Amino acid sequence: MHIPDAFIPIPQGIVYWIIALVFITLALRWAKNEMSEEKIPLIAVLAAGIFALQSFNLPVSMGTSGHLVGGALAAIVLGSPFAAVFILTLVLIVQGVLFGDGGITTMGANIINMGVIGGFVGFYTFKGLINVTKNINISAFSAAWLACFIPALAAAVEMFFAGTFPLREGLIAMGLYHALIGFIEGIVTVIVIHLILRARPDIVDLGALPAKGVNG
Amino acid sequence: MDNKTFIICGIIIALAIGVLAVFLASGNPDGLESTALIVQGQKTLTGDTPPAAEIQEDLKGKFSYAAPMPDYSLGEKFGPLGGIVAIVGGTLLAFLIVLGAFKCITLMKNPEKSKPDQ
Repeated sequence: MHIPDAFIPIPQGIVYWIIALVFITLALRWAKNEMSEEKIPLIAVLAAGIFALQSFNLPVSMGTSGHLVGGALAAIVLGSPFAAVFILTLVLIVQGVLFGDGGITTMGANIINMGVIGGFVGFYTFKGLINVTKNINISAFSAAWLACFIPALAAAVEMFFAGTFPLREGLIAMGLYHALIGFIEGIVTVIVIHLILRARPDIVDLGALPAKGVNG
Repeated sequence: MDNKTFIICGIIIALAIGVLAVFLASGNPDGLESTALIVQGQKTLTGDTPPAAEIQEDLKGKFSYAAPMPDYSLGEKFGPLGGIVAIVGGTLLAFLIVLGAFKCITLMKNPEKSKPDQ
């Protein structure tokens, strides 16, 4: 889902960067106000894990592959959608600058799709479902699936505005492929949550509480 | 599990995933690339991706940037070893950048901690 430079005109890329910077600022405020020193290892390890998992493309049939995005995972485990914005922003910077995975002018759009939309959709879907189902697996899987699917649709709309994809074809193809890739997202998210819960249940915030760093 | 053990275990797992990715990751395009190939008439929605399929990028009026380690590799001459070096380096860098960012934020929040004990 990493959009390369060639897919979006520079003026539109600047608009996405400005929007992304608003959320990055809020994520920094969240980190300053809500993060305790004991959670730093979790955040750093999550960033390393998300980077590694994003480099591991798995086949999803129809000649297509996909990998974990990680927005839902970060937001669920750390109890705030801004955790996803913070971690995904730094991971996307490393990927874009060093490895050419995602563009520089399109990095704002990538941060919006994977960090902001992925984080908020993942966090609030999990929060809503865990209150109803009381089941971590169902809630986390569903949240992660949606946090992969919805950003893909957002990317298709951005591609339409950029003149890169026709809207209908873009939505159908992106939706279909990421509906499948979402299963990888869901399964990996559930596995990682259980691994972290087993190792350090004391530093996990499963988001049943009000989102940290979000007013209201 | 204490912090040190948690970090070591987490990094080992992340590095293992990264190294496995060099050898086992699918070479098929991802969802966005597959969609681009469909739009460009090189692939059907449900069909396999032809081996010769390649995304045509229109760089006119667009920014162009050459990353030092494109596609998580050091180039063909270094083979899988170059891929391992790239992914291991990237994984550790992601870890260190996030760790460093939070250390900076913590110090900004509690500047007293940056001073040595007296």
